[in-house]
This record gives sequence, C-alpha cells and structure tokens, in this order.
Amino acid sequence: MNNAFARAPQRVGVRPPRAPAIYRHGPFTVRVTTPLRRLRALLSWCYGDSEPDAGTVLVHFDLQVRQGPLLRRLFSPQAIFRTDTATPFAPFPRSHAFPLLEWGLNWCVATRAHQFLMLHAGVLERDGYALVLPAVPGSGKSTLTAALALRGWRLLSDEFGLLDWRTGLLMPLPRAIPLKNRSIRVIRDFAPEAELGPVFPKTRKGDVAHLRPPAESRRRQHESAQPAWIVFPRYVRNSPLQLAGLHDSTAFTRLSQNAFNYRLLGATGFDALTQLVRSCRCWSAQFGDLNAMITAIDHLPVPEM
Amino acid sequence: MSPLLHIIRDPSGVQAFSMDAWNRLLRESRAHYLCARLSCLIEDRGLAPTCPPEVWSDLTAQRFFAEHKQAQVRLELRKLHKALAPRGIPMLLLKGAAYAHAGLRVACGRDFADLDIMVPRAQLEAAETALEAGGWLTETKHRYDQRYYRRWMHELPPLHHRTRSFEVDVHHALLPLTGRLRPDPTLLWAASRRLPDSPYRVLCDEDMLLHSAAQVFQDSEIAGELRALLDLHQLMAELGQREGFWQRLLARAQVLELGRPLHYALRYCHRMLGTPVPAGVLDAAAAHAPGAPVQRLMDLLVPRVLEPRSPGRPPARMAVWLLFVRSHWLRMPPGLLAAHLLRKAFRTGKG
Repeated sequence: MNNAFARAPQRVGVRPPRAPAIYRHGPFTVRVTTPLRRLRALLSWCYGDSEPDAGTVLVHFDLQVRQGPLLRRLFSPQAIFRTDTATPFAPFPRSHAFPLLEWGLNWCVATRAHQFLMLHAGVLERDGYALVLPAVPGSGKSTLTAALALRGWRLLSDEFGLLDWRTGLLMPLPRAIPLKNRSIRVIRDFAPEAELGPVFPKTRKGDVAHLRPPAESRRRQHESAQPAWIVFPRYVRNSPLQLAGLHDSTAFTRLSQNAFNYRLLGATGFDALTQLVRSCRCWSAQFGDLNAMITAIDHLPVPEM
Repeated sequence: MSPLLHIIRDPSGVQAFSMDAWNRLLRESRAHYLCARLSCLIEDRGLAPTCPPEVWSDLTAQRFFAEHKQAQVRLELRKLHKALAPRGIPMLLLKGAAYAHAGLRVACGRDFADLDIMVPRAQLEAAETALEAGGWLTETKHRYDQRYYRRWMHELPPLHHRTRSFEVDVHHALLPLTGRLRPDPTLLWAASRRLPDSPYRVLCDEDMLLHSAAQVFQDSEIAGELRALLDLHQLMAELGQREGFWQRLLARAQVLELGRPLHYALRYCHRMLGTPVPAGVLDAAAAHAPGAPVQRLMDLLVPRVLEPRSPGRPPARMAVWLLFVRSHWLRMPPGLLAAHLLRKAFRTGKG
C-alpha cells in the first residue's frame, strides 16, 4: 500500500489524500486508511492532525474504512470497516462512517488488547487518583463520564478501564465519547460550551453525537493513574441520589461480570481484579440529577495512601 | 520472502528487525493466528529481550487464548474420562491435546479448534452410548451426513456437550475408511504409551508425527494449513533430537503405509521452513515420492497455497482448487466420490 503511494506523483510536504493516518490513543497506535473525506475531516477535528506514517512505530490496529462497490456509491452509499485480518461488521451507511470506525476500534481493542484487564467502565482522574465507573449500557455511564470530564476531571476513557495487570495502574484511552439519544440534549444543557460533533441519526444505538475528548486528556494520554474509587452508577429518572458502600466481594463479582476479558485472562485476571478491589473504596450509586451526582463524587473521601 | 516464514526459519532474524519489518511480521502473524506461537518460538531461542517491549507485550498478550483453550481442554478431558472410564474404554489423545499433555514445546501458544480423542474401534458403539448418556450431543442431524461419518469416515460426527461449547471429535482410525491410505488402528494402539500420572494414552513419537503429516498431506486441502505445517516443523525439531527417532520414523512409515505423506511433510517443512531434517532421511523418504510430473506439480502448488501472501496479491485460486480436488480424490474411490458430490450439489443451503 505504501509503495503505491510512494510511486504516485506528489508535491513535497503534502500527503496524498488517501495516505494512511496514524493516531495515538493511549497505549495503542492506530493506522487508518480511508478514501472518505468527511471521515478524515472528523478524525482530525476529534483527534488532531495525524502523524506521518514513517514506519517507526508499532501499529497495533491497522484499520480501513472503504466505500462499497461502485453501484452502492451511487445508490445508498456504504462504508465498510476492515481490519488487517477481518471484516467484523456488516456495512453501514456512508454517512455513519465515523461511528462505524469508533465502534470498529472498540471491537479491535476488546478482542486483542489482553495485555490489559479490560473493564467496561468510564475512568477519570483527579489529583493522581482514578475514579472507575463500571456500568452496563443504558445506565448513564457515558453521560456521567462526559459531565465529569467537563467539570475538571481528567478523562481517561469512556468505554475501557484498561488495567495494566503488571502494575495495577489504569491506562488512559481518551477518545470521543458517544452520547446517545437524550444524553445529547442533557450534555448540551449541562455545558453549552461542550464540543459536540454532528448528530448521526438512527444508528444501531439510536441517535449518536460525539463529545470531543478534552485537549488536556489527549495531551496527558500516556499518564497512568492509581485506581482509588469504584462507583457503579445507575441513572433512574427522578430518583433521589443514593450512594451506598459496597462490600469488596460484591464489587469484585460485579466487576468480573462487566469486564471484556476477565474469563480469558484466567488467574491473571483474578489476581488483577482482587488487587484492584483491595486498593479501592467501592460504592453503588443511583441518581436522577446529574449535578447532585457530580457533587457527591467530588466529595468522595480522599484515599489514604 | 514472507517475513513470517523467514522468522520461523530463523527466529534470530528478529534482532535486526526495524519497526517497519515488525509491522509486516505482525500483520502476517495476525492473519494466520500465529502471534502467540511466534512469541514462543522467539522465547525458546532466548530472544525475547531483543524485541521492542511494546511488540513483545502485544505478541504475548495473544497467548491468553491458547491458555484459556488449554484449560477448557483439560476440563473436557476430565469429563470425558469420567464418562468413558467406568465402561473400560481407554482414551488416546490426538494432536493438540496430546502435545500439551506430553509436554511438547509445540503446544506453547497453540490454539484449539476442537478436541480429538481416539477409542478402540471395537468399543466405538459403547463409547457413543456412554457419551450420549453423559450429555454429549451431535449437531449433525442430516441422515446422509450421519451415515457418511459412520460408514466412511474415521470419526463420529462432531459432539458437543450440551452445557459447553467445546467440540469433541471421537476417532477410531486416523484416516477415512474409504481413503487410499488406511493405517491399521490396532498397530497404533499397540505402540501407544500411557502418559505418566495420567489416565490418558498418546501415540508413540513416530506415530504422532506421521498422524500430523497424514492429516495435512493426505486428509486436507492443504490450503490454510500453515499452522499444521508449523506443528510438523516443531515436532520434527523436538522429536528429532531423541535417540534413533529418524530411523524409527522411516521404518514406521513403511509399516503404516504412510510413506507418501511423510515424504511430503519432510520435503515442504525442509523447503519452506528450513526444518533440520538429516539429508539421509530426506533421501530415504523420497523413495515414497510420486512420479516426477506429480512431484513437480505439488512443488508448484503446495508453497503457493501455504505461503502468507503480501496484502494486495490475489489469492492462488487455481492452486487452491486443484488441491481441493486432490483431497477429495484421495478420500474416496471415484464412484463414491461422484455420488457424494452429486448429493452435496443438490442439497439446499440448510443442510
């Protein structure tokens, strides 16, 4: 692929439009090749300029988003996601190329990155300590994570709690936060200055708009954090705030059910999770008001370490 | 040359690798699901410290799949033993399960698609009854398929325990009963050995290699069998160190009439992966080579379908098709093959 570009005539210093783009996402390097101009524009809006593909970094995930066959370019155009080894999803409409790429990268990380215990959780950091928000889809995890990221917490990740089981530290993976359906409105009202991308209507998860990861998070995306608090959030409409301490064993069970690769890691996963739960204080939270929840989180006891 | 084949040949080549070369190697290894095994090959040579740390952590992370599967295999074997032992049916482990239990290096990082065991032909029906009572079910519902397995094949239709996802293949012979080559299972049982501190048996060293060779070069379409070729390469490298192995191997191939697949295995492992095979053994096995035209054709086709292809190079469709035809030709006599293919052709998608 690179050779083909090397042969193509080009002005010095100008990358040909279809050249692969390199993005760093925390511990991973991703190479994206796509002819879709809008997708490339959204990528640079979200993650900044790409690095040149100099062949000097390890590429963890080699991704392509292609157009469908010629006929489909004319009628209901498609976007097809491919990794270097697989085409895991059915094609999306071309206008949904960005959410497709983001989900595709999630799939890649979840199926390959077993150098981490991967929790399905939002993770944020303050004063060097990390807050883990593990939750099932629909519990308001992304909304809460986005809101905290807009109120001074450093965003590590909205989707993956990457626990390095060698060190017990959490690694950042600061990417766009996909807000779904009513959450889009909620975050717009919560922080009118929030940088939201275009709304993609009627995806498989409903309407989706992405919150751009804060520049500070991107800049510090190689700084790991010591886990200190685990809160299992659950949004229930009109519910008063309830924050209840959780026993270690309950937290352990819920975390193990909520991880992408807990079973696969076997004893390594068990040890990592045990250490995580022991080093954290755990709560279960139910909330109906975002501001009340954030205040409660801001007042969680400072860890004695 | 493919970077993957280059490194299997000579793992020390990674010391001179640029990051660009690593990226190409990893791309091929991922496509062939060989990352974990590659990491084992590198580790065996003590080369792990020479790899860039981010590469090493990416490669070794893929070993969890193999370890997870091996744990599942151990569990499945215990359950099978519990079902079969009370009826006095011995279990012989084949392929991956045997490599792992015999402590061979080839098992390191090796994934499992299914679990293969062998039971004596005379006790096959008893075994099937016992497994059915124990909760193992077959998903092969079609009557023709059931008959196909029972009358012509060397194994029962694949079994699944109803509470687990693991596929179990129960063999009573190594190769299909309708095939050109039919090594006598009683000879295999007689030479097999019991593993220390374990209720299971495994084939003797020579038979283990011959079985693996026959699987690739007699009973498969060869295309897509790079991992099996690596099995052969690693088995030869490890078992070949054992006293008198090569002499026993040649003699055994005569007895079991598996000279031809052995010849192919030695030839292509040596040619493609640089497997250390003594020159005398290569020559002696060449006595089982086919006629010159067939040999030349195989030399053309086999590397074409096994070598990893650089991205953008189209797949070797013609070679794949020819070897597919060959595999069926070797499996059944022409009349039976024609009837079988006719049936398959007229069958609707639902099987």
